Amino acid sequence: MLVTGIKSKPVYAPLQADTRGRYHLMLGMGVGAAPLLRVIAEMRSAAVQSLKNTRVLFVPDPGNATAAAGRHGSAPEIEHFINAAVGNVQSFPGTAALLEEFRSTLGQSLMGTRLYVAGPESFIGLVMKIALEFNLNKDEIRAEECGTLARRVYCIHCRATTENVRTNIVRCVACDRWLLVRDHYSRRLAAYMGVMVDAEAPGELPPLKEVFL
Amino acid sequence: MNDAQTLAVEVVGVEQVTPLIKHFKLAPVGGGSLPVFSGGSHIIVVMRAADRVHKNPYSLLGSPSQLETYEIGVRRMEESRGGSHYMHDRVVVGSRLEIAHPVNLFGLDKIARKHVLIAGGIGITPFLAQLEDLHGGAVPYELHYSVRSAEHAAFLERLRRREGERLHMYHDSEGQMIPFETLLAAQPLGTHVYVCGPAGMINHVINTARSCGWPDSHIHWEQFSAPPVGDVFEVFLARSKISVHVPHDQSLLESIEAAGVEVPYLCRGGVCGFCHTRVLELDGELVHNDHFLSDADKAKGSSIMPCVSRARCKRLVLDL
Repeated sequence: MLVTGIKSKPVYAPLQADTRGRYHLMLGMGVGAAPLLRVIAEMRSAAVQSLKNTRVLFVPDPGNATAAAGRHGSAPEIEHFINAAVGNVQSFPGTAALLEEFRSTLGQSLMGTRLYVAGPESFIGLVMKIALEFNLNKDEIRAEECGTLARRVYCIHCRATTENVRTNIVRCVACDRWLLVRDHYSRRLAAYMGVMVDAEAPGELPPLKEVFL
Repeated sequence: MNDAQTLAVEVVGVEQVTPLIKHFKLAPVGGGSLPVFSGGSHIIVVMRAADRVHKNPYSLLGSPSQLETYEIGVRRMEESRGGSHYMHDRVVVGSRLEIAHPVNLFGLDKIARKHVLIAGGIGITPFLAQLEDLHGGAVPYELHYSVRSAEHAAFLERLRRREGERLHMYHDSEGQMIPFETLLAAQPLGTHVYVCGPAGMINHVINTARSCGWPDSHIHWEQFSAPPVGDVFEVFLARSKISVHVPHDQSLLESIEAAGVEVPYLCRGGVCGFCHTRVLELDGELVHNDHFLSDADKAKGSSIMPCVSRARCKRLVLDL
């Protein structure tokens, strides 16, 4: 079975400011703050009016969120955004809360909005899934992958999604089958497809390896 | 598409709907149904005049669910090369014409969250069929229709009756202008804009949408250019090994066809890119009139759209 070299695996590129946009919505997680700050600096040097029309929704890396809480009761990255004089910065305790705000923001947004996403692929995928529902096209979204390569894996047998998968094979959280994690990606599900690995020879598993670090 | 694939139709209805526009209904010769099409499609009408063959693209404006007849609207062009005058002056109920199968280069985006349709004059025609698809659906839409004056507003009754307040009319004669800037600056995310009308209007909509931050994937337009007149020149077809004379009022494509060489085509209006032809030799310059090639490709001069583009040269050699 083809595991790598599958076309549906998303390709990302370093973020760049798109000054043709009128409104800029930035979403970041953890180390994703750095690329976003780079885009903000780029906008400032291009002297575009758009900084006041820029909004940042940010969620700290779940691993060190509480430890790194700063003066505003949130991650230190937030202070960088505030210092960069971006119009509107909001921090969220977790991805779900951020995505909820993102969805309601898109519902009120106008044509001319550009989306910038930076963070781990699983985070980007969840954001893209919602952007797709609002008919945002490739020329309105930019995404830069940074942080963990851990994957969301969709069990094609029981349809449950296993989060934070770092290994080549993984036990499905719902049905307990051993799944082979392929590069076959679904934008609609924001997950990689997991296929039962020992269906033909029960119990015969390839060695477990950490590959998505 | 080539001439072997045309359908024979009979004109079963002709109505003068404005001082400049006639509405034609075409039914298949021998009865039966016409091919299925989607809103925004056009057909090529082949008119065999005494001295030459005209092949003009016209949008289908009837309902895509009604296939006993096709409906087209033809505006009488002031500087016609003959096609629109032929339709207006010679075609009557009972006339026979040939048409090419419908092709859609102006379809609606299937997952748009809203559609904004902008029509100028005869540019209303592709929207009439699209509205059939949109009407009664869940996706919001609005139509902005600009005409010279009330008497030039073709198909207005039909639109008023069905579209109600989704229809916004503008009369040039009363100084009414579509408020492009306010209209395009205030659309919800996921909106698509479609424009069909005079070149100036299309360019204005594209530029205004871009300046409001719209990405190109949400901007759709259609304009069939009539092949412009130009200098007389000679073209040599390398594979057919024949030389063809291109008169000033006949297009390169028409001249090549008249010489008996078939070139694949779809729109004959510089839009679709189907007749894309390689240029092998040239001792002058190409006059690109199409909307298909990028500016960079046009500058390169290694290919041409013979449906609307010409050359100013002594010798042009094409890969045909």
